[in-house]
Amino acid sequence: MLSKEVAPKCIFGAMTFVARCHSGDSCGSNGLPLTPNSISILGQAQFLKTLDHPHLVKLLGVTRGKHERTIVVSEYFHQTLSDQGKLSLEDIVKFMRQILSALQYLHEKSIVTRCLAPDNILITDDGDIKLFNFGLYYMTHGGKSVSFPIGSPKYMAPEVFLHARSAEYTSGVKVDIWSLGIIAAELLLSKSLWDGVQLTQILRKVLSLVNCNAIFARLARECNKFDVYENIPPEIVDFVNQCLKISVHERPMASQLLEHPVFKIYPKKESIIEKVHCLNMVQERKHPLDERDLNEIYYLWQLSGGDVEGELKRRGLIKNKPPILCLPQIVLLEGQILGGEQDQSSMLDLRVAALSLNTLVQRLEPLPLTVYYPLIESSLQLTYASHVESDAAPLPLIIREKDIEYQFLRIMLMKRLIDAYPLKKSELIKEACKDIPPLYRGVIWAIILNVIGDVESVYTEIDKETVTPTDRQIEVDIPRCHQYNELLSSKEGHLKLKRVLKAWVISHPEYVYWQGLDSLAAPFVYLNFSNESVAHACLSAFILKYLYNLFLKDNSEIIREYLAKFSHLISFQDPVLANHLDEIKFIPELFAIPWFLTMFSHVFPLHKILHLWDKLLLGDASFPLFIGLAILQQLRDTLLSSGFNECILLFSDLPEIDMERCVADSMEPYCTTPKSITFRQHEYTHQQSIKQRKNTSPLEMSGLSYTELQAEFCPRISAADLLDLMHHSPQRVLMVDIRPQYEFVEEAAPGSINIPFGTIDFGGANSDSSPLPPSPELSILYNNKGKVVIIIGEEAASAAKVGRLLVKLNFPKVCSLHGGISVLRLCHILVPSIT
Amino acid sequence: MASANHNGHPDENGKGIASFQYRLPVSSTSSPRNLEVPISIPFNESIPEFASRLISTFQLPYHVKPDLLKSLNDFIESKTLEFHDKESQEVLEKCNDGKIDIEEIIKIWEKAFKAETLQYVKKEGTSDSELFSSVYHKLVHSGSALETILQVENSYALAVAELISQRDIQLKSLSAWQTEEMCRAVEGVDIYSTEKDVNDLAASHFEDQNLVHGKWNSEVDALKESQRKDYREWLMKLLEEQETASLSHFSPLEPSKDTAPILEESFTIHLGSQLKQMHNIRILSADVFDFCANKLDESGGSEIQPQRLQTSLGLYSNDLCGLVLLSDAHIGSFAGPTKEFCDVSSKSTEFHFEDTEDQLESIRNRVREAVSWRQSFAQPLHSVDTQAKRGSGSKTLQTGDIFITRHSNLSSVHVVFHMVVDDSLRSNDLNSRHPVVLGLRNILKTACCYDVTTLTIPLLLMHEMTEEMTVAWCTRRAELIFKCVKGFMIEMTSWGGSDLKNLQFLVPKGISEEVFSSLASMLPSIFRISNPLVFKASSSASSK
Repeated sequence: MLSKEVAPKCIFGAMTFVARCHSGDSCGSNGLPLTPNSISILGQAQFLKTLDHPHLVKLLGVTRGKHERTIVVSEYFHQTLSDQGKLSLEDIVKFMRQILSALQYLHEKSIVTRCLAPDNILITDDGDIKLFNFGLYYMTHGGKSVSFPIGSPKYMAPEVFLHARSAEYTSGVKVDIWSLGIIAAELLLSKSLWDGVQLTQILRKVLSLVNCNAIFARLARECNKFDVYENIPPEIVDFVNQCLKISVHERPMASQLLEHPVFKIYPKKESIIEKVHCLNMVQERKHPLDERDLNEIYYLWQLSGGDVEGELKRRGLIKNKPPILCLPQIVLLEGQILGGEQDQSSMLDLRVAALSLNTLVQRLEPLPLTVYYPLIESSLQLTYASHVESDAAPLPLIIREKDIEYQFLRIMLMKRLIDAYPLKKSELIKEACKDIPPLYRGVIWAIILNVIGDVESVYTEIDKETVTPTDRQIEVDIPRCHQYNELLSSKEGHLKLKRVLKAWVISHPEYVYWQGLDSLAAPFVYLNFSNESVAHACLSAFILKYLYNLFLKDNSEIIREYLAKFSHLISFQDPVLANHLDEIKFIPELFAIPWFLTMFSHVFPLHKILHLWDKLLLGDASFPLFIGLAILQQLRDTLLSSGFNECILLFSDLPEIDMERCVADSMEPYCTTPKSITFRQHEYTHQQSIKQRKNTSPLEMSGLSYTELQAEFCPRISAADLLDLMHHSPQRVLMVDIRPQYEFVEEAAPGSINIPFGTIDFGGANSDSSPLPPSPELSILYNNKGKVVIIIGEEAASAAKVGRLLVKLNFPKVCSLHGGISVLRLCHILVPSIT
Repeated sequence: MASANHNGHPDENGKGIASFQYRLPVSSTSSPRNLEVPISIPFNESIPEFASRLISTFQLPYHVKPDLLKSLNDFIESKTLEFHDKESQEVLEKCNDGKIDIEEIIKIWEKAFKAETLQYVKKEGTSDSELFSSVYHKLVHSGSALETILQVENSYALAVAELISQRDIQLKSLSAWQTEEMCRAVEGVDIYSTEKDVNDLAASHFEDQNLVHGKWNSEVDALKESQRKDYREWLMKLLEEQETASLSHFSPLEPSKDTAPILEESFTIHLGSQLKQMHNIRILSADVFDFCANKLDESGGSEIQPQRLQTSLGLYSNDLCGLVLLSDAHIGSFAGPTKEFCDVSSKSTEFHFEDTEDQLESIRNRVREAVSWRQSFAQPLHSVDTQAKRGSGSKTLQTGDIFITRHSNLSSVHVVFHMVVDDSLRSNDLNSRHPVVLGLRNILKTACCYDVTTLTIPLLLMHEMTEEMTVAWCTRRAELIFKCVKGFMIEMTSWGGSDLKNLQFLVPKGISEEVFSSLASMLPSIFRISNPLVFKASSSASSK
């Protein structure tokens, strides 16, 4: 148990603003409606989340509310630079250095803060600088996505004003340097410039500096601090004047300023600071959460009931007037709105709501300290997971994903295993079988898909810009691909999806782009939004594993084999359904192609695909067939009572599918169906093994032509699987030998029964009399209904015919032996049977 | 080689094109020693990727990559800097030359900060209407007071209705007497009266009518005014009282045996291909004013219409109810549905907003603003239809324009969207670009922006059945509106506002049952009826 006195140090800060509404009837160049600005901002802000610098706060989340409301959450500290009293020269120089290093980092990435001001400069508990709100200008596309001006007038560079809010103008990095100069001047004079002066006056004063040379001196005079100014060392004065160069050309960049002599006079005092830091660490007990990644804490905080929007409302940062009071009076045909009260609640309010971690800490309090450090290398296998088990473990997945305690334990464990990758890969996959915590889904998927190597430089090498013939189709498909998802519908999302798709097409010249590839890529792009190369690598690995050769220019053979195998699987597992579908001629070609070609990603919404693929990735290439089967079984009752037309209608718009049940339902048949039943010759792994061993054993399954597959209603089983079944679970299998009796007597598989082909009356399948002549064998057959029935014959056609008959009689798990009796002869298991 | 695969767009948005020159450290016979590539500044692509592309396009030896990347990086950095510097340098020079009006600049920025940033605005106090709205909202949602409030409202409405009926009786008797007198006068023309006498009589009758009308109306207005004042005061007091003691116990309402419209059918539909958005859709035949007129409880008893209850609860919520009413460009000055609507809504006192007539008056005043906006800003957007062309010079609103009134005293509507229509609606060949259809889109968009989540739309764009509305006409019109509204609803999801939860399609009362059912059967074929997820008691997987 944690002592209550130790509280986590970190807190979050939330700020909010309203994005500009698109006016009237505007449409994009593609004729589709414009993306709302709040979505564009959301997409653009994703890059900022990847920034990592000691003097920048970590950006944690950007969310949207109704009516273009945008909320930004980041790391926060209570102290700002504007709260500081008089500072020593050393401290000021230290702060300048830290701010400059942050600016250099941002400017290298072409990020301009535009609103550098003391309010946005936070001071950590260790007395260091962290810039806050530095991404507003960047995420709003240079202020174009919002209607308010970005920047604090006092600190804004004169050239910004002179551009007069022109839409073409975007600020360069040097406007931040000016702001820094003003801040430095204020700190050095320890006086807030133009205090209590009206906005108009401030604007006038800033603009009047344009014609001025020694700006620092003038500022000092203006606030009656010239005496202080005169005592400032000349190097520092020069530093400030460099920053405040009116001529943008002469104003240095952050990297140049870091070389300024002033930083040599007051060098970094790292060693001492660090020492003090170390001492503190020893004395003071830290809350274990403080060691965690901020993204993790933010995620958990949200699960623990942290509600940013609610909190902002409570603090009055989001105020909503009743909408009926804001209604306009006239809406013109052109979309122009007249009348209606202006709503102040949509104005920019720069206040920040500090969010404490109390709720999270309270929820985690009952947990012992050890859960923060799960043991994964203990001699007792699996103790790490079992010693603290959340109550939520037996609950449905959707509830587990929302359960703070459960997710906390999963995240602690999974993160540990990820950190120990690749050493702990097998344990990681074992844990992933339970479930995959959403926070680390992207990483875990990449691990399961075996994405290794320097994917980033591979991706960089691929030309994603050159125009190719597929571009048009890609551009048509993307604005229709999972657009209800905010990230994927943003401009950034479109761009990333397009790049990943193009990269895949270019790097797989043997394949072509098929509609549906966009849906296939969407989950990976969504999960690795700021890491296209991983998304691309995952997509490539995924297609190789599950959709091998399905994107060939002529994929008909592969698709046909796939669907024939699907039909076989249905007849193997659910003969009643198979018979019905066969009767109404509702063949998989009519509905299942988009299922398998997109691995269901075109059929289901993203949140369901994620759960589906969590499990799909753990299975092999045949697993999708079982998922297809599970979907059919969920709709079984409807299907059985529907004719052809109703079925077509039903599948043109699939009803809600319970995904967790679907996945669970597919597990059991997947595990119990012999592998050869779903064998496909075009599957990736098989091809590989064929190459390795030129001569496959006749006991194994080998490829059949499409016509052969089509002609048979039930699947074939390989001799290897038969032997395996006979060996491991003889009670699960019944062999039916259909050769003439004299041959059967001579030699037969031990335990098999003989129903000679000749004795079966195929014509009478529909008549009242049973097609099978009554015999002791027949009653054995009926008594063993439900077992795997393997039909053994001399030639495939007759075995298939008997198989069809048995399926028609609603026998499940009927299959015929691939290679017939002769293959068993090779394994020397045939014995003379005694009748 | 010139096809360096770089977009050769000329200077579009004032962006610059810089020419990147690279000299290979070591030359080979097969590849050129120098290369030159145009690069647009600011450069928005990934520099390492660009370098890779250069290498493959010009078939450069791979080992130059680090060097190429470095020079490319330096080049783009310096050019970007130069670009921004130059841009700003130019304004600064202009400013020094006095070519920029500083005062103008200050004005622009001052306006920008003051209009958009809370920090620079005088914090407006909570307005009267806002204060009242929050009081009302609190009270109706506290449970105990709701019933009392509705009863008081009911009794107030009864008083107004009483006065109005008195007025109507007196007006009726007056006109009866006048008719009689007139008859006598006309009969006696040339006997005991002249034509002039008749004319004089008519004039004096008219005057009398006006006088009585005016007298009564001012009485009604006075009553409403005092009711409104009393009501608002009482409500404020009620809140105070309630904060100290709790009021009478709230009894659950019994469902009243309300006469529902006979022709009605409801559907649950969904939109969207993967993620499905549910909506309720209803088609019904009723009079449009059925949604407005309150049924008063004459006994003054405790029974309250359930719709009223719902409307009161939702008034200041984020789930408003709206109604589309077809109107003309005169904004209810003369006869027509708007005028009729005025009469219906003035049956009782409007306690929360201005009287309907006053709201319309204020809208009439705003029309000038609209017309001038249209003259100066509107491009000939809909150049195809002559309607807009003709209207652009007009002094009134045009077909497809909307004016909006808000109400608290109607039975199941808070917001009325009055859409200006004309006779072109009678035609059989309306298409989806007709201004009325665009107006419908604007209504849906406004509804989305202002949290109107229940909306009633006249499906045939007609409030009454007329002769030309044949079966074929109705089917065609309904199909158009169904399809257009569906499209707008799909679009709506990207508007970022409130989703329309309930959509009602209204058809005129006189419609025949056959036509109604054919329209109703059209609905599920256009919208997708959601397949219900059926839960079985034993939903185990072993159903084989």
